[in-house]
Amino acid sequence: MFARLLGESFARNPRRKLLTAAALVIGMAVATATLTIALEVGDRLAREFRSLGANLLVTPESDTLPVEIGGVDYRPVDEGAYLNEADLGKLKTIFWRHNVLGFTPFLDVPAYVLETGGSTTLIGTWYQHEVPVPDGTKFQTGASATHPWWKVSGTWFRDDSDECVVGSTLAEKYPAAFVLGKTIRLAADRLSGGGRSLRVTGIISTGGAEDNAVLVPLSVAQGISGHPGKFRQLFVSALTKPADALAERGERAQTDKNLQLTPTEYDRWFCSPYISSIGFQIRTVLPGTEVHAIRRVAETEGRILTRVGTLLWIVTLAALGAAVLAVAATSATTVLERRAEIGVMKALGASNALVGGIFLAEQVLLAIAGGAIGFFLGAGLARFLGESVFGTPASPRLILFPVVLALAATIAMIGSLVPLRRAAHFRPAVILRGE
Amino acid sequence: MFWRLVAQLLRGSRGRLAVAIIAIVSGAAVISALLNLDLGVQNKLTQEFRTLGANIVISPAGDAPAQSSSPDVPTLMPADDVLQTLRQLPPAQVTAAAPYLYIVARSQNIPVVVAGTWLDQAQKLDATWKLDGNWVASREDDSHCLVGHNVARRLHLAPGNALELHYLDRGVQCSVAGIVDAGDSEDNQIFASLRAVQSLANLPGQISLAQVSVAGTAPVVAGYATHLATVLPQFQVRPIRQVAEAEGALLGRIRLLIISMVLLILILTALCVLATMAALAMERRKDVGLMKSLGGSISRIVGIFLAEVGVLGAAGGLLGAVLGAGLSYWMGLRVFGTAIAPRWEVLPATVALMVVVALTGALPLRMLGNVKPAQILRGE
Amino acid sequence: MATLVHVENLRKEFGNVRALDGVSFRVNAGEWIAIMGPSGSGKTTLINILGGLDTTTTGQAIVDGTDVVRLDEAGLTRFRAEKIGFIFQQFHLVPYLTALENVMLAQYFHSTTDEKEAQQSLERVGLGDRIEHLPSQLSGGEQQRVAVARALINHPKLILADEPTGNLDEANEEIVLSLLRELHGEGHTILMVTHAATIGRLADRRIEFAHGRLVQAAAAPLKPELA
Repeated sequence: MFARLLGESFARNPRRKLLTAAALVIGMAVATATLTIALEVGDRLAREFRSLGANLLVTPESDTLPVEIGGVDYRPVDEGAYLNEADLGKLKTIFWRHNVLGFTPFLDVPAYVLETGGSTTLIGTWYQHEVPVPDGTKFQTGASATHPWWKVSGTWFRDDSDECVVGSTLAEKYPAAFVLGKTIRLAADRLSGGGRSLRVTGIISTGGAEDNAVLVPLSVAQGISGHPGKFRQLFVSALTKPADALAERGERAQTDKNLQLTPTEYDRWFCSPYISSIGFQIRTVLPGTEVHAIRRVAETEGRILTRVGTLLWIVTLAALGAAVLAVAATSATTVLERRAEIGVMKALGASNALVGGIFLAEQVLLAIAGGAIGFFLGAGLARFLGESVFGTPASPRLILFPVVLALAATIAMIGSLVPLRRAAHFRPAVILRGE
Repeated sequence: MFWRLVAQLLRGSRGRLAVAIIAIVSGAAVISALLNLDLGVQNKLTQEFRTLGANIVISPAGDAPAQSSSPDVPTLMPADDVLQTLRQLPPAQVTAAAPYLYIVARSQNIPVVVAGTWLDQAQKLDATWKLDGNWVASREDDSHCLVGHNVARRLHLAPGNALELHYLDRGVQCSVAGIVDAGDSEDNQIFASLRAVQSLANLPGQISLAQVSVAGTAPVVAGYATHLATVLPQFQVRPIRQVAEAEGALLGRIRLLIISMVLLILILTALCVLATMAALAMERRKDVGLMKSLGGSISRIVGIFLAEVGVLGAAGGLLGAVLGAGLSYWMGLRVFGTAIAPRWEVLPATVALMVVVALTGALPLRMLGNVKPAQILRGE
Repeated sequence: MATLVHVENLRKEFGNVRALDGVSFRVNAGEWIAIMGPSGSGKTTLINILGGLDTTTTGQAIVDGTDVVRLDEAGLTRFRAEKIGFIFQQFHLVPYLTALENVMLAQYFHSTTDEKEAQQSLERVGLGDRIEHLPSQLSGGEQQRVAVARALINHPKLILADEPTGNLDEANEEIVLSLLRELHGEGHTILMVTHAATIGRLADRRIEFAHGRLVQAAAAPLKPELA
């Protein structure tokens, strides 16, 4: 009988239910969409921040002081320490290998350019290079990953080729020598013979020190410097988690002998992609190196990510709050509207519990149905939002489905409870009189 | 009589209005908080990005006398015009600006890069530097310098130590004020006052380049660079791409995300208020029927209820907007550590929005215009 | 005496049901007519049309020279305000307005409000000391008396009452009926729907309805009913 009453109560007055249903569905859709995005946004934003470029710098441990201005090393080639290019594949074997999005070695060499009659600095590096990884696969990386703002007019040099990219300031100073498509001849210095001929394929303008130099494939720089298979510094772009208290402890424990992490702390630190733990893991596979976080990038990223994350969670909470409000308000008004029905049922002898039960059940069922539809709408909405904001759609988290349904049901119950309790005190006559 | 009716309407149905009021106030609070926040967030985030460093560089023009690009002979440009311009930059738009003169000097017989600059700007230009020791407060202070931690390690320097720098046959001494951990090239450099380095290298009135940190998105920065280029036509003024572009894209994304979520919430809130108002209006059906039977035209009758709903919307909207301003203040503190000042425009906007939505909810009563009073009173 | 109401061949259908099936009769000014018949016979439909609360398309219903059937919405609105005073079975007072304000409401839609006049009207029905009370604070009989005061306030040509004592107990019924008697004595024209013969007896004439039709239109006072 209960089911019958419920069914009939449900079928009555569909038009009035439309607005309620709409508010319910949209409320739950918004809740789903915001929750889905909030859960993912940390990852996505972190990935976006990689457009800032490398956040880790690897240098030889025992090294002379680099003579660096704006990131370009002007030391003579026989001074200072070098690292082995062959070791680089090991970077993709560390625990957080999937977070290592790219790395680029650099070797800066002074060279003599025949066409200008003067010396200039060659920046030897990879643009897009295939690194053999110990497990047999190949990993493509280079400045395209760690220096994404390096854009050329023209094209980049091909890997291990006889091509080069010239800095725009240099090209402006010597317009005759550095022309797209022309070849330039380089040697280690004015006196040595046997140089290399490189074709200029692009001009780069970054506002940095590169504008005053010539970018060449790493192998060319190695050849001219007389240090085959070597490089001086490595830039790494890693997907990291913003630093918190544990990360800081882990970082300090690296240098401070008095500070030790407990085994649990150590595990948690190691297994979290903090920049300090990734740095530590890199140092482990590349012995004889120092790994530093490029603070400018890492800290800015960390701080902004944290702030935006908090902000988005607050906004999500607001969205959830609005959804809760929508469901509760519509439940409450529905019960209020149908006081007359309640009055009739009570007049017919239905107990408060029965009446309350029917209405509550109806509201909850409605909420669950609305919640289910809302979930799918919300998932679609999340996909759309993910697509428009980040370029890739946000995948729906199925685990949210029961959460959203439960949320809808709970809110509908709470929202109906208050007016139903008041309705329990109604005298049928009062209601039927129309007051 | 009109306002008497409205007043009695509001007073008499207090209980039923409770849900409507709650909906309006909370809706207005949420909307007002988010609107205030949205307006404030962009500013705050833009400021956050300034810790990435300078985004405009002023360097010698392309047709400057040909120099080699070896740092032993630095590329130079005359400083006066640039310094003059830097000193006059408006602090509201420009977070920091400083000139640089790079030379390769020797200390303890080791070649080391020395940058002459305005030391008081160092902290502002590179806010992520960690410092062991003290910053140098004045750009005129020739006696102190900041040392990168790699240099400090190699030369065994600690804050307070004396440092000797030699260039060709000249020498200068300074005291190490602080040791810098930058995680970048600066770790390998020594920073001293511009005047001291100019005198050491015997390059009076010359600098290598200047850097400016401008607050704003990529288009703003590019625009500022163009403006500076017209002020300093004899030099090359360009945005530093790494910073400017990434910042622009990121800010854009974050902003878009927040705006979409705010929009969603706005729609939802409006819908909720609409639903409760519509329910409220439906409750008035019988009164509408009665008033029609007394000879009231539908416009006059609906006018009364619209006034009621309008007052509700306005009062609730006002209260909610004030609450929301407080909420955004708190949220600013929570998220950014500094309060976001509420914008006064948000208040009337929220109130207006709530009134419009509330009125829209009540408008269905208008449809009773053609319904016979007998039908309405019968309860159909 | 002048004819105040002239109904000619009035028809009204609700879907397939013929609520009024060609009704014709006249009412003179100052008459108290009781419209009687079983429920569903069309009495309420008739009175609603005469009061401008409902419309039809076929027939004529001329009240004080105006054919209600031909009026548009604006015309009906004025008609209700100026010519008619309606008394409902369920009172239909606005629950959040005081007795005084309920009467003033009728003034408001007619022309202008006059608190003094409204107060006098309430004193007339014996509620002078209850003018600030809300309907929930008044008994059924008192509420109906407020409704009567409201119906009278604009000096209507025709008073329509649909089972005016249907929701009242005996004592209150008596009060309201004696009020109607007074009004009749003052010369008001009253059309009253009732199903109770005892009440119908108070009127000058009874018009019987059945299945939307007039069964008996007595032009002269009936013989006294056998108990």
